[in-house]
Amino acid sequence: MSQEMYSVALKSTLKEIKNIYPDINWSFILMNNGIVIAGDEQTTEPTIDEAAGSFQTLAEKASTIGGLDNLLIDAEKGKVYVSCINDMYLIAGLNKRADLHYFRNITQVIFPTIIKVLDRLNLPSMTPTPPKPASFTPHILSKPISSAQITDKTEETEAEEFEQPEQLGQPEQLRQPEQLGQPEQPEQPERSEPLEAEAEEEESPKKLSTLPSQQLIVDRFGGLLMRSDSVQVDEEILKRWSELLEVEEIHEVEIETFNGKTARFKTKVITDSKLQGRGLIRIPEKSCQTLEIKRGELVRVKPAMSEE
Amino acid sequence: MPIKKKFPSDEVEQRVDWAPRIEPKEEAIDLRATLEKIKNKTGIIGYILRASTSASVDLKDPSKIIDYAVLSAAAVESGENLSNAFNLGKMSSIVLEGKEVKMLSLSIGEQQLCVFMEKNVDHNLIYKDLMGSM
Repeated sequence: MSQEMYSVALKSTLKEIKNIYPDINWSFILMNNGIVIAGDEQTTEPTIDEAAGSFQTLAEKASTIGGLDNLLIDAEKGKVYVSCINDMYLIAGLNKRADLHYFRNITQVIFPTIIKVLDRLNLPSMTPTPPKPASFTPHILSKPISSAQITDKTEETEAEEFEQPEQLGQPEQLRQPEQLGQPEQPEQPERSEPLEAEAEEEESPKKLSTLPSQQLIVDRFGGLLMRSDSVQVDEEILKRWSELLEVEEIHEVEIETFNGKTARFKTKVITDSKLQGRGLIRIPEKSCQTLEIKRGELVRVKPAMSEE
Repeated sequence: MPIKKKFPSDEVEQRVDWAPRIEPKEEAIDLRATLEKIKNKTGIIGYILRASTSASVDLKDPSKIIDYAVLSAAAVESGENLSNAFNLGKMSSIVLEGKEVKMLSLSIGEQQLCVFMEKNVDHNLIYKDLMGSM
């Protein structure tokens, strides 16, 4: 069974739920990698894509609170309810007076059951396909992502591809017919693949845990000969990071502001002895304006690793 | 004898042209007081109150300031986008539940308030408290 079949099954589930619960105006299901797997026929694709892209950004940010479980947006003319089911998000637009308790009861029972049945029917269908480039690239491109983040994400998806067959069902039962025909050969690549996956997994947490970040206080500086592409950071901080990351020097840092804006800058050491060791980051005036930050505000700074 | 009805004369506020009218700041004071009360409740992690040019943050763990600020901004932005995409009109509140923490976000006048709490806290009570203060 392909992903298409999976999508058809979920689409008809959405339709059936809508029949028994007319307070649903629209709905769609989004996978955690950003792909809309099933959507309402009445809602246009650009609208769903726009909503999905916006939601995906929020879901990523929600990792700070341990991932997104539920979301309820109460607006003038209706509600939006998002529920996390397994590795998917059900996003539904409800009437203003919709009974959320009832809606939750329906979705929390029906969807996990359907997904479980589909998983048991065919495991390979759940292998995630690469994300749609059209729907989500604008959101990703609007904020620069460091190469380290990109590598982490690819590693994660690779790891998922290896992990999922183990997590989702009973692989032994399904492999039995293959094993009868070729009893020994399939075992070797299967064993080697998880080993590779394990090796990658071992590497990735190291990278994640060693990628340090620090909150620093903004200090502006300007001048005619000042370069606007570099910021000044304490030498101690840069040394500490280079030791942690086992690199000679930290050439670039990524700054994330209170409003979620990010930017990358080249690094220089704070030379003014009065400003050293104070937890400051000196940012050029022009860049402060672009990032909409003022002197004394806090920003999160982390080393940005180049794609070497 | 016919009873003469007395119409209340419109009380004209006495103003002089050289003195600016002083706006009452009771609402802001009430909100601050309510937030102070809410903050002391068990399970409340803190809050972020954003105005157009400033923001006040009170979180128990200062190392999370940026994370929570980014999250609250993303939640409001995402809520507005969804609301615009599906023509839902003005947003009144957002409840975002994570695996460990919950966030209640609502607009109060021109300010955007986000209260962070542990998952077991009843956000409806917090919402009522905040609405009661206005």
